[in-house]
Parts: sequence; structure tokens; C-alpha cells
Amino acid sequence: MATEHVDTTRTDATDGPDGSNGADAPGAGTPGESAETDASDLDGEDLVLGYPNAPEPVIDGESIAAEPGAVTALVGPNGSGKSTLLKGLATQLAPDDGSVLVDGRDVHAMDTKALARKLGLLSQESTSPDSITVEDLVYHGRYPHRGFFERTTDEDARAVEEAIELAGCGHLREREVGSLSGGQKQLAWIAMVLAQDTDVLLLDEPTTFLDLHHQMEVMEIIETLRSESDVTVVVVLHDIEQAARLADRMVALKDGEIRARGAPEEIVTEELLADVFRVDADVAQTENGPRVTPIRARHEGAE
Amino acid sequence: MSGGGSVAGESAARRASEGRIGWLFDPKLVSVALASVAVVVAGGLVQVSFGAYSMTVGEAWRAVLDPAVLLDPRWLLNFVVGEGLMRSITGFQGELPELAHGTLIVWNIRLPRVFVAAIVGMNLGISGAIFQAVTRNELASPFILGVSSGAGLMILLTLVVFGGLSAFLPLIAALGGAVAFLVVYAIAWKNGTSPVRLVLAGVIVGTVFNSLQTGLFFFANDIGVVQSAIQWTTGSLTGTDWEQVRMALPWTVAAVALSLAGSRQLNLLLLGEQTAKSLGMSIERVRFALSGVAVLAAAASIAVAGIVSFVGLIVPHMVRNLVGSDYKRVIVGCLFVGPALMVAADVGARLGMGVITGADSQIPVGIVTGLIGGPYFLYLMRRQQNMGEL
Repeated sequence: MATEHVDTTRTDATDGPDGSNGADAPGAGTPGESAETDASDLDGEDLVLGYPNAPEPVIDGESIAAEPGAVTALVGPNGSGKSTLLKGLATQLAPDDGSVLVDGRDVHAMDTKALARKLGLLSQESTSPDSITVEDLVYHGRYPHRGFFERTTDEDARAVEEAIELAGCGHLREREVGSLSGGQKQLAWIAMVLAQDTDVLLLDEPTTFLDLHHQMEVMEIIETLRSESDVTVVVVLHDIEQAARLADRMVALKDGEIRARGAPEEIVTEELLADVFRVDADVAQTENGPRVTPIRARHEGAE
Repeated sequence: MSGGGSVAGESAARRASEGRIGWLFDPKLVSVALASVAVVVAGGLVQVSFGAYSMTVGEAWRAVLDPAVLLDPRWLLNFVVGEGLMRSITGFQGELPELAHGTLIVWNIRLPRVFVAAIVGMNLGISGAIFQAVTRNELASPFILGVSSGAGLMILLTLVVFGGLSAFLPLIAALGGAVAFLVVYAIAWKNGTSPVRLVLAGVIVGTVFNSLQTGLFFFANDIGVVQSAIQWTTGSLTGTDWEQVRMALPWTVAAVALSLAGSRQLNLLLLGEQTAKSLGMSIERVRFALSGVAVLAAAASIAVAGIVSFVGLIVPHMVRNLVGSDYKRVIVGCLFVGPALMVAADVGARLGMGVITGADSQIPVGIVTGLIGGPYFLYLMRRQQNMGEL
């Protein structure tokens, strides 16, 4: 099942937009539709999520369903609980109540390696020894596919090659991670989770702290996943415009509650920006998705 | 860009052809190993040549390579597995052929000490390397999770209070270390644990046990007991024999095999708990198992040499600086650099006082490793900007 979407990377991802559009143009318009049967479901049901030392849970009984084979973006202001929700879905955080299901199976009942073959996570901050090469880092993504004493197989090598190509970091392959810029590091880490070859991919603010070029690189990788594979993607994004451009569905959070969910055009509205993000803004629909022009911050009195 | 595909192909092919042991032939690793072997051989030759019965280096060589021993499996087995086992393996019942005087001294007294030093160096090296990965802290040593304080307390208790048990001192010391490690783990455990909690618990247990150990010194009634206790708690190879080699060897083999098998897990731990977990590692189980291997190695070294400090701290450092952070290579490197450091330090411990003061006395090897270790860390601190986090 995990090998279904391996031929996605035959197009050259490093060449950018034309590479990602050329091969699969009809699919690009209706993402996820073409292969709904193979894509995986990810459901969080009545999740109550909190941290051990905090009295109140951050998320108090919310349900979320990621659209199979499509990109779901979680947006919200700082402290809205979007990263917490993602951590809950990724089982980094054990829910106090509720459950997370992948294809109908409770993730906490699954074997950890079996789960890691289904569900991958790119954390916000990742650390690695400085002297590890990018290629070796990407090979670590194959961990859940290998037994205790097994050596790397041809399939591992293939998955790594495809991940490196899709992430566009082939030119960095022999470089040491410690010598890379923040953006290059992020591409290397993305290649690692891609090599994990999961049906569901969770990305926690993959574009934050990156320069514009690398933000676009990361966006293009996610676009490629959306249009050319069955991978179900859930991504936390800070930038609401980016989220609208990238996602098939958006989920807006505030104070640990889901305030709105739906297609980007339904979510990115002046009312929602006022309510959730507490800004007055103009929203204009353009061919590249909604364009948000923030005007001023709303203060408590203004509500 | 167009060359990207062929580069990728080459790299995959290279990885495939490297196979299971290809990574061993990394030029840096090979030179580290060769240099270490040279140090061990040179240190070993010094050790077998000098002493109360002095020989020239040529005589020492001849004694080491004496065919009367090397070509006689009975003698070799007699040394490595002990006389009783040798007789039951070979079925030989008579007297072993007589050896030359020099050969006897070298093979009976001086050579086993070199072997014990090498074994202790290996154990401390891999133990430190594992603990540094498990705690993700470059300053971790084999003794960070209470092993040394537990062993030390048991050593003092045995020598001072339960003098009748001193024949079992090696075993008791090793067990004390292992028990202290379990106590540390139990204290740090609360729905799982973390590197920081483990290190803190190690400090807590270490503080209490060290106080008790120091307190026990007051109840020692003669200087001989105190000296013996100090020898054990600073680490000494004085008087080590083939018996120590036989005691430590099986555990060492097990610890080395297990740590090599665990090197991929160690590499993954270096990527951080979150990443390791999201890649499907059962992190608590792996952490406990690897710590157990490290404690096994540390306990084996304590049983034969007492608590030798600094070796387990510096060796993984030196190796990482030389071969990089891939733990497969780090572990293999430690298997060579550990013995080199330990054998060289023991030359100083055994012969140093004689050279400096002319007196015929030995100092515990742990004192020499501390004297080497301190300045080396000073050098590292000066050279590296950010020490600490791995």
C-alpha cells in the first residue's frame, strides 16, 4: 500500500512549477478526487489534549477529519492550539480523552513501527548531529521499514532517491547538515519524512523562519504531493494566504476551539479574520487564491 | 542539474556495494584504528620490558612471541580460560612444559595487565559513547547514572563493614553499580522519562551515595583498608592477572556485540526524542536497553579495575572528533582508542613514579587518566565554541 505513490517523483521537482504541472495536468485541477480509494483517512475524534503540568487542556473535545489524499491546513493565531492539535494527531502527545484513527484503526493500539509506516511527522524544530550528511539523514527516514538487523534494501535506496529528488536537495546530498542554511536544512528534513513513505504526512509550520525562496520550495513540494500522490497531508501554517493557496480544506482554530472549517474561499473571509485573527483586513479573490491585505489590529474594545 | 540522476545512481550503487561491513573501511576510521594499535603495542612493549626484572626490548619481544607459548594451545588455553577448563577441553593431565624465566614473567605477570587495561579501555569507551547518545549530552560518562557511586558505596561497605566478603569484591562492586543505575531509573521514571530527568536523578543518587561512601572512610580502622578502598574507587590495575581477563572477557564480548547491534538506534536517538518517536522507535524501551548495555560494560570494567574516571568521558569525544558522529564508526573507534588511552595511562601509573622519584611504587591508573583527561578537556573547551549538547 505504501508503494502506491512512489512514481510521483519521476518529474523533476527541482525544476519548479513547470516540472510539477507538466506531467499530471488533469489531476492538478481536482486534487484527491482521482484516487480517493487508495488514500488514507486520518480522524481525530473528541480529542482532549493538554500538557502534563498545565491545569487546563489546550484542546477540549474537538474532532477533525483530514480529507483523504488532499491537503488540510490548520491555521490560527499564536497559542490557538494548532500545533498541539497536530501533535495529538501525530501521537507525540497522548490525548487525555478521545482517539486518533488512521484508516479506522486507533493509533495508540498500533505497533509504533507500523504506525510510523502509515503516519509521518515533520516537527517544527529538529536537531541532528552537525557532521551527519544529508543522505545519511534521509536514510534515517527508512527506520520504520527495516527490521532490527536488516541492512538497507534496494527499496530503501529507491525511496531515498525519490525523496531527495522530490525535496530538491540532490545537490546537498554529500553536505554535512551542520553546514547548511536554515532553508536547506528544512529541505533535508522534508526529504527524510518523505523517505519514510507514509500515507499520512503531518507538517508543523514547515515554512516558518525560511526565506522566500525556501518557502516556495517547500510549498512546491506540498503542491506536488497534493496533485501527484495519494498522501493525506495535514499542515500547520502561520501564513493564511499560503494556507489558502496550498490547501484543499482549511481548519481555523482559536483558543483551542475549531471556529471554522471548509474550502479556502469559505474560510478566508473578512469576518473570520476579524474573529479568529483579530485583524481588520481586505480580502480579494484572485486567480492565485484569496489575497489578504491586513489593515489594522483589532483591540479588545473594538469587539 | 542534469547530472543529478547519475550522481544519485552512483551513490545508491556505492551504498549497495559497501554492504554490511563496507563502512569499516572509512580511511579516517582505519587510520584511527592503526594509530591506536600502534600505541597499544608500544605501551605494551614498555610494560613487558620494564619492572623489577628488567629486560631489553628485544628480550621482551622474544618473550612475548615465545613459540613455547604461542604454538602450544595448552599454554594459551591455560592463560585465557584457566587451568581447570584447559584440562577439560584438551584432556591433558600431565605437567605443562616448562617456560623460560623471562617468558614466565612476561606471560604470567606483565602481559595480562596490558590485556586488562585494553579490556577496561574498550568497556569504558563504548559505555561512555552509549551514555552520551542516550542522554544527548557530550559531558556524560559511564558513571553519569549513578554507577560509580553505587559501586563505590558497595566497595566501602565491603571493605569496612563486611570484611569477610572481600573475596567477592569485584562482583559486589559491579552489582552495586547496576543496582544504583536501577534506582536512578526508578527515581527518574514518571510515565516515561527524559535525558534531563535521568541526569538529575543520577546527580541525586550520586550525591547521597558519595556522602555515605565518604562517611564510611571514618570507620576504617587501618591504613591498609583505606589504601585498598582508594585503589578501588580511583581505579587501579595493580596486581591484575589472567583471572581478571577471564572475568571481564565474556561480558566485554557481550557488551561490544550488543552496542554494535544498537548503533543504528543510537544514531536515531541523536536526532532527538521527537524524531525518533515519529520514526516509530519505542523510545523508552530502547533507551533502557541501551543504558543496560552501557552499565554492563561499565560494571565489567569496575569489577576488574575499580572506578577509572575520565576514560569513558574522553574516548568517545576523541573518536567523534576523528571519525564523525555516525555511531557505528564511533563504537568501533572506541574499541581501539579506549585501549590505547588506557594502556598508555597504565604505563604512567606503573612506571611513572619510578622515573620521577626513583621509588619503586605504583599509583592508581585512575589518577593518571584524570591527569590526562583534565588538560584534554581544557583543550577541547578552548577549541570548540559550543560544548555540551550533542
